Parts: sequence; C-alpha cells; structure tokens
Amino acid sequence: MDYTVEMIEVRNLQKQFGSVTALRDVSFTAPDGAITGLLGANGAGKSTTLRIICGVLKPGGGQVLVDGVSPSGDPLALQRHVGGLLDHAGLYARLTPREILTFSGRLHGIPHQRLNDRVEEITAFLGLQSVADRRTARFSAGERMKTALGRALIHAPQNLVLDEPTAGLDIPSVRALRLLLQRTRDAGACILFSSHLLEEVSALCDRVVILAQGRTVAQGTPDALCRRAGALTLEDAFVAFTTVGEAAPC
Amino acid sequence: MLNQVLIVAQKEVLDGWRDRRAVISTTLYSLMGPAVVSMVSLAVHDMRDSEQVLIPMMSVFTLVAAFVGGMNVALDSIAGERERRSLVPLLTHPVTRLDLLLGKWLAVAAFSGVGLALNLIGFALLFHRVPSPALVPCMVPLLMLAAASEIWISTLCRGVKEAHTYLSMLVFLPMMVGMFMVFSPLAGHGWWKFLPVAGHQMLIDAGMRGAPADPLATLILAVATTVLAGLALLAAADRLELDDVVYGG
Repeated sequence: MDYTVEMIEVRNLQKQFGSVTALRDVSFTAPDGAITGLLGANGAGKSTTLRIICGVLKPGGGQVLVDGVSPSGDPLALQRHVGGLLDHAGLYARLTPREILTFSGRLHGIPHQRLNDRVEEITAFLGLQSVADRRTARFSAGERMKTALGRALIHAPQNLVLDEPTAGLDIPSVRALRLLLQRTRDAGACILFSSHLLEEVSALCDRVVILAQGRTVAQGTPDALCRRAGALTLEDAFVAFTTVGEAAPC
Repeated sequence: MLNQVLIVAQKEVLDGWRDRRAVISTTLYSLMGPAVVSMVSLAVHDMRDSEQVLIPMMSVFTLVAAFVGGMNVALDSIAGERERRSLVPLLTHPVTRLDLLLGKWLAVAAFSGVGLALNLIGFALLFHRVPSPALVPCMVPLLMLAAASEIWISTLCRGVKEAHTYLSMLVFLPMMVGMFMVFSPLAGHGWWKFLPVAGHQMLIDAGMRGAPADPLATLILAVATTVLAGLALLAAADRLELDDVVYGG
C-alpha cells in the first residue's frame, strides 16, 4: 500500500487542562486509504488528540493539518474535512436518524436534493432503513452507533476519526462496524481510530500510533513495530514501547 | 452565517415542540395568569377596583409569561445538550459556536414569544384587554432578553436539573420586579421606566389601561433591553469557548 499521501498530519501537539498536561508532544501521520489505530493506556492522550483533530478542542501548541489544510487559515477547516465519531453518540432522542442526518448534512451545506439522496445512501449503507423514521430514544447501542457513524459520514469526508467506536457494542455490531470501516478504507478514505483493545487494532489497522503519557512513542505497521521492539505480538510491542518509550519518544 | 443560525434554530424548535411534557407545562404556565386573574375578578365587582386590582396583576403575569415560555427549551438545548453529550458531536460540524448559540437563542425567543402570545390571548378572551400594538417594539427586546439570559444561565449549569433550579429562580425575577413596581411607593417615578423588566411592567400596565405609550421612553427601554440581551449572549458565547463547558462533566 502506498503511504506517500498523508491526509492527517499532527505535529508536536500539546494540550493542557488547568494544571493537568494531557498532551506533551504528539506527532504522527495517518495516510489515505489506510486505517490508522491510535493505541494507548487510559489517560495517554488518545481522546484529546482526536478531539483536537475534529476541531472540538483547540490545541495548546503544535499543529494539525488535514488534506494539507490548517485551521489557522480557516477556523472550521477541520470540521469541513473530517467526519468525527467521538466518545459518545450524543443523539437527539426526539429526532429520527433521517432527521439527525438531514440536520447534520444541512450544517455541512449539502444542497437539499443531494442531501435527500445522500441520506438514503447512508441509511442503506449502514442498514438503518428499518429504523430511519423512528425516534432514537429507544435505540439499541448498535443502532445508536450506526446513526452516529452516519452523521460522521454524511458529508462524505475523506477523513474519518473514531474514538473507541466499538465500546459497548455486541459482537455482531462490532463485526458489522469492522466491515464498514474496511469498505470505507477501500474506497480511499483515511481512517483514524482509537482503541485500547489490541486484538481489535491488530485485526483492523494498517498502521499503529502508540501514545504514552501525552507523547508519541512509536508509529508504523504492526509488523514493523513488533520487529523494532523485538516482540512476537503487538501486545508485547505495546508494553515494550510504553515502558521504555516514556523516556525515549520516537 | 445566517443560514447556519436558522438551521440550528429550526432543529431546536422541532426538538422543543416534540417535548410534549415541556410544551404542556409551558402552556399551563402561560395561561396561569388569565386563570388566576379571572378567579380574582369574581371577587371584584366595582369597575374602579377592577382597574386598580386586576390590571396590575395582569401586567405581572404577562411579564412572567415572557420568561416562562422559553425556559424548557433553554435548559434542554444548552445544559441538556451538555448532559447527553450531544454538544460535542454538534461541534464537529462546520458551524461557529456563536452561530450555534444564536440559533438556540432564536428558538428560545420563539418559544418565549408563543408563551407571551398565549398569555395575552387568554387575557384578551377573558377581559377584552390587550396591550396596544405600539408596545410590540418594546416587547420584542424583552423576549430577546428573556431568551438570552436563560441561555446564559444554562451555559453555567452542568445538567438539566441544575439548569431547571436556576432558571426557575430567574422566572422569579420578573415576578418580584413586577410586584415591586405594583406595590412599592418608591417605584414608577423617573428612571424606572427606562429599566428593563421594570419599565416593561409599567408599559404593559399603561397599555392595558389604554393609555398611550411614551415613544421616547419606549425607545430608550428597547435599546437598553437589547444591549442587556446582547451582553448576556456574549457572556454565553464566551462560556461555550471553554473546554470545561464542552467536556466538563
């Protein structure tokens, strides 16, 4: 796979919340046509990094470039270029998936007729047709996740950012999501997702970025990381990098 | 920009309208004034007493109705949005936080307007007394102020329950000011007519008696109220820029 086109580029990202330093120095690239997994223990800075990439939080230092565009020129550049499914589905209980997708599409400036077609396309793609006109209040976790994913995909973003997307899902939903991400990746999208489940990352990711204590400690393909750490499994490599890596960030 | 504001406002109106429990509660609060005053009117037979007792009561209830109408939407669209974590996904869209806030504010103001209209329709049907249409330029800024202050307070709260507590207290403000204006011998002279809420009570009272509105006082009151509404909105927009408000538990 060709990784020369880097669609999400993060340079020396820093973020402080009061007296707590969430990010010290996070740098990595996530290329087009690949699924990049962001790995790290709780508090490593995964969610904060993804929130900054989605434009929800402002970085304390450093830079995020998406499709070569920086938010310094256009404050809403990240929101235009990235589809985000962050740590919570955050649906409107009194609205239906169709209404939520339409609201989202209108905010993205999609013209009316094209938006109707796109909503149909997304509901079909995610298998939401049977519940498209039901209010989301009593949705299952899988239906909620699919609706939130549809919202992230409505503007056909080239870059998709997902924070622990499989949390709380049953096995069929996890499998369905995995297939969806692979199909989206195969269509050429850049997918960046965080997880602390190593099996999930091994099964899905073309590249892995490991964070520890707000720093990037390693990045590369799973095989390359195992070789560099002299480990047989990604789990061993993760442990090796997050233990040694605190002192020697890559 | 305006387009984004209207899209947000439309969504909030739809969402607010579907919250039937809140709609029923708002309707009852708005009609509480006409209901209470009509019961009091049963004990007042003399025409002069009627003017002295019922009209001040009506003006206070009308003032409160302007604040009650949008309360549920304000607490749900800001504090509720934070509580159910739907604010974060909303911020992943290409819309500025000020536009989001303005959209929500418009929706809250619309519900406040409906509350006020219901109240006035109730009085019109029961007592054939409606403030002069000339008061509209003054009442619109009052709705703007009510919505802006409710939105601002909602940004200070972490959840719906907290917002409900503080917004219920806010509704007491026009009630207390209105009662003060009605009963205090200190009120009603000089600069009171330029003071938001207090001036509105005086204008509504005068309007219901059929007295003509003072154009200069109405203009100054409208400007002062609009400025205050703007300041409340700016304070709310400032809150929405804070990481703690977006992500705070």
